[in-house]
Amino acid sequence: MVAVASRLTVDCRGRSIRDVNRAIREAMVAGEPSIQVLHPEARHSLAVALLAPVEIRIEGSVGYYCGGMGDGPHVTIAGSAGWGLAECIMGGQVVCRGSAGNGAAASIRGGRVVIHGNAAARAGISLKGGTVLIGGNTGYMTGFMMQKGTIVVCGDAAEGLGDSMYAGEIYVGGRIAGLGNDAVEQPMGEADVTRLGELLEEHALPGDAPRFRKICTGGRLHNFNKHEFDVWRAAL
Amino acid sequence: MCGIVGYFRKADSEGPIGEVMLRMITALGCRGPDSTGLALYGGKRRSGAVVRVKLADQAEPTHQATAILDALAGLGEIRASAVDDGVLRVELGNGAAATVVERAVLRSAPGSEVFSVGRRLDLVKRVGTAAELDASFHIRGFRGTHAIGHTRLATESKVDISHSQPFWAHGRRDLASVHNGHITNYVKLRDLYEMRGHVFYTHNDSEIIPAYLGDRMDQGATLEQALRQSISDLDGTFSYLVATAEELGLAKDGFSAKPLLMAETDEAVVVATEEIAIVAACGPDVHATELPAREVRVWSR
Repeated sequence: MVAVASRLTVDCRGRSIRDVNRAIREAMVAGEPSIQVLHPEARHSLAVALLAPVEIRIEGSVGYYCGGMGDGPHVTIAGSAGWGLAECIMGGQVVCRGSAGNGAAASIRGGRVVIHGNAAARAGISLKGGTVLIGGNTGYMTGFMMQKGTIVVCGDAAEGLGDSMYAGEIYVGGRIAGLGNDAVEQPMGEADVTRLGELLEEHALPGDAPRFRKICTGGRLHNFNKHEFDVWRAAL
Repeated sequence: MCGIVGYFRKADSEGPIGEVMLRMITALGCRGPDSTGLALYGGKRRSGAVVRVKLADQAEPTHQATAILDALAGLGEIRASAVDDGVLRVELGNGAAATVVERAVLRSAPGSEVFSVGRRLDLVKRVGTAAELDASFHIRGFRGTHAIGHTRLATESKVDISHSQPFWAHGRRDLASVHNGHITNYVKLRDLYEMRGHVFYTHNDSEIIPAYLGDRMDQGATLEQALRQSISDLDGTFSYLVATAEELGLAKDGFSAKPLLMAETDEAVVVATEEIAIVAACGPDVHATELPAREVRVWSR
């Protein structure tokens, strides 16, 4: 991380999270471009609902919902994150240097979520846009019911990958323990390799783009077909 | 909600387990403001047992306590006894079987409830916060090898000391568990175990877990085998911890519906519902990871 000279510091110690978030928001209103958050100590709901561009660096591990419901800020977490990292963001970027708990980047509509460690279960669940990049392994049912957007997993994916996904694509560099209902593998096109290669390079993530596998929807769950009842029974 | 924590020292020696556990469950206090409890395991192997009994008559506990002590004296030497907040603690000098101890207590004091019998285990719980638990049972100074703890947000059964966790596996010394989640086939399993003579004291679904594990182990399963089997036999959402005299174990349901993180340091294995409790035990530089669905782990000496 490049050091920024005039960095405002907000210390979480001895303060309520509401108070910390208020301090961050006031600094943003005052035009502060870069804010450093100290001693997060795995507390919840840090740096949420920030709706303008600003650099935020959190010096440690965070609890649930960090960076959630944002649109514009670039949040970097030096440690790990709990459940619901960057949930529902519309834009901006959330980077977690460690690992993330369940439901990372759930329902995001845009922006980018980068997890350098592992993601637990249901990362990118109900994804509605944006890009989720996972440097390590990802847990059970990653990309469950995703509707748009891209998920990149550099390591291994657990069972149920892309279960009932409507659209979008999941690229996996490691082993896939099992695809979810109606998730299918498709060949990597030239455009896929180029785009993936750029994403990996931009975020210094491991892997060789042409060796990734691409998972998409099979389209069989898009419309109910009574002649394919078994497909539905398995999915539901 | 609810919060669970576990701490297992790698060394066989005793450490300040009481103080560490208080820090951890205090950190999870907001997940479970209804009640707090700990199952603490002392390092020194006693030849006898520690017994905790909730007295039925909370207004006049002394009379009942005397009756229980008389009955237990018939089984052997009583090394020490005390009543704190309506709960009797007895240190027995003999190694009588847990079922024999429990039967003697219930016969001498109808309506009372045996919270625990253990060679190493001492189980404390109460309605209220971690600070109140310490005020009642003076656990800050407890030294031991491992422990599990619980903060409860009641969702299905009433808020009182009996319905609080941890729960002990009646009939099996030292086995206790703490659970976050719901066991939805609880009624069915409870019927089954009641037919086999197991006594349930509460309507808390979590009480089924140590009963289930004890039953599996009575039939020859190791703790790890019982934990693995539980993932398909228990229905619902769960992350739970279990401890015996020598082991700490965990199991997580097939959907990873409930959180559970673990971290390992040179000194200990630490597990908790939230990282905040792991930070409280090990400091902010600890590296904690969320465990995957269907995870089973056992640590033993």
